Amino acid sequence: MDRRNFILTGIALGAVASLGSGLAIWSWQHSVTPDSNNRDLVLSALLPALLYGALPQDATLAAIELERTKTAISDFLPFLPLRQQQELNQLFNLLANRLSQLGLTGHVISLTKLSLSQRLQLLNQWRDSYLALLQQAYHGLRELLYGAYYGQSEHWQTLGYTAPRFR
Amino acid sequence: MNNTHLDASQFTQDQQFDTDIVIIGSGAGGGIAAEQLARAGFNILLLEEGAYYSRDDFVMQERWAYPNLYQEGAARKTRDQAIGILQGRTVGGSTTVNWTTSIRTPQPTLDYWHSEFGLNFTGDNDLTPYFSQAEKRLNIHQWPVAPNANNAKLQQGCEALGWQYTVISRNVNGCANLGYCGMGCPINAKQSMLASTIPAAVALGARLISRISVRRLHWQGDSITALEAVPVDQHFQPRSDISIRIKAKHYIVAAGAIGSPALLLRSKVPDPSGRLGKHTYLHPTVISGALFDENINGHSGAPQSIYSDQFVWPQQSDTAGFKLEVPPLHPVLMATKLIGTGEAHAALMQQFNQLQVTIALLRDGFHPQSQGGTVQLDSAQQPLLDYPISDYLWQGMRNALLAMAQLQFAAGAKQVLPIHHDATLYSSWAEAKAAIQQLPMQKLRQTVVSAHVMGGCNMSADATKGVVDQNGRHHQLQNLSVFDGSILPTSLGANPQLTIYALVWRNCQRLISMFKY
Repeated sequence: MDRRNFILTGIALGAVASLGSGLAIWSWQHSVTPDSNNRDLVLSALLPALLYGALPQDATLAAIELERTKTAISDFLPFLPLRQQQELNQLFNLLANRLSQLGLTGHVISLTKLSLSQRLQLLNQWRDSYLALLQQAYHGLRELLYGAYYGQSEHWQTLGYTAPRFR
Repeated sequence: MNNTHLDASQFTQDQQFDTDIVIIGSGAGGGIAAEQLARAGFNILLLEEGAYYSRDDFVMQERWAYPNLYQEGAARKTRDQAIGILQGRTVGGSTTVNWTTSIRTPQPTLDYWHSEFGLNFTGDNDLTPYFSQAEKRLNIHQWPVAPNANNAKLQQGCEALGWQYTVISRNVNGCANLGYCGMGCPINAKQSMLASTIPAAVALGARLISRISVRRLHWQGDSITALEAVPVDQHFQPRSDISIRIKAKHYIVAAGAIGSPALLLRSKVPDPSGRLGKHTYLHPTVISGALFDENINGHSGAPQSIYSDQFVWPQQSDTAGFKLEVPPLHPVLMATKLIGTGEAHAALMQQFNQLQVTIALLRDGFHPQSQGGTVQLDSAQQPLLDYPISDYLWQGMRNALLAMAQLQFAAGAKQVLPIHHDATLYSSWAEAKAAIQQLPMQKLRQTVVSAHVMGGCNMSADATKGVVDQNGRHHQLQNLSVFDGSILPTSLGANPQLTIYALVWRNCQRLISMFKY
């Protein structure tokens, strides 16, 4: 088994185990090549959950902040080592497709149809998983997403932080 | 583009260069070497994988600084992703983005090197004159300004508990006490290599090539014959469409303690000691947050002005020592390190300005259970550091979390938050103490970071115990030197820049006198 299949199987097994689902194991052949639709779908699902409490109440303003964060993520990714980019691409492709068919209670439901608290619960299950690969997915996504959101000066109002200006 | 600086990403065809000395890497080692050797009259070619950004280019925002000035966008991780590594990748290397703390090599570290690696830095080999010269060259002085509140809390905690502390010496000249050292000094106050030795070397005729990645040293018998490099793209990924070949009389590898071993591994240079890329040290660091009633504003003011060595050299030899410092607090650094998700995370971020943060840097490499990490190459031939954390280090980290919580409460903290994914805010020292003693010390639950990478090409008097000799000369290849933090045989128990400056300054003088005879 090569590393790629190992990662995917690990995530799948972990998801199945942590979600208590009795689904069969599929063959995992997800591409390491970027798919911006998959990435967008996953980020659109996870960002509002991770950023719950940080995003503005106003839906229009929140949507603008989410778009800005997604753009920041796609701008940042190419600076990562190719190895790490491929792992993230795999994760996005996986979450957008196969894994999204897993419901928390074993129902077939897409990631985007989970409630915000169910999405957070999913992430927290990865954090507490006995599988290092799921823990890595949790920490990798968390750092990437929080870094991108709080990197934007437009999102600093509640922090009382401003960058100095010299020129 | 001009005659003294070439941007390799602008090359449109293959290139060839000849020079006396080529220096690979422009950080603390390469920067000092460039000036010393240019001053001695040699033709110097200084190569840097990062870009040539300077004062006017720097943007005081992490979203610009991290991707543009740091290795792997400041998201570099060890193989199992358990340790995050901050390391510069720009002209001036980590000196362009470090927090300016300048400390001479601790005597117990030098003593350990003497006994374990036969390295004698006494008598004629005394480093003291080189420390003095580097301090003079880079204007290293004890910081005369009152510490910012983040550092002041460290000092107050030490005072309350009767713990040792020291006011830090910094390599700055005309520092405006801004707090943005990690994003590149916008006023050239920091005496980084970018602002000091590199312009001096260039004025003496050295040529700088930026955005170039050296892929391989070619060697035959006991000599390097040439090096092969490629430009990097706009995201600093090595390209394959253009090849650059450089021939020199002497080759100095100064690509940092991950980059230098990686280059030598790619080049498959002789490694009879088996230590190439091994014994890489990190000063593995754990973090403790504390909420105060008053504003701390940890983003403002000199990032590091106080440290405590209360615990760095413990009496019991089976306990890992640690140094206490503080980091600058900026939104991305904090948001990615603070624990939790959703509302809990947002609530912590909203108390950003009331947050004081203390860090504990473990002194690794001095114990059988602390033999460091290993630099490996991935399928793209890029470096990857495997650094397993032993029980000895985990125990040291737990001791460090305890000490930091005790210190923060002694300094008046309302609540303390050890940065561990099973921790929560604790409201008293007793509560924190009981909880920390129960925290599972495991990777990916306990957050671990590093800003100091050392070792991997360690020096030793005996060729069977190291990659280079005491002068940084490769034990097997006669025209190869390694002049950077990778030659350190252990970690230091102190921030490394001044040690590297002094060692490389000394090694350059040895090299110059060798060339003269």
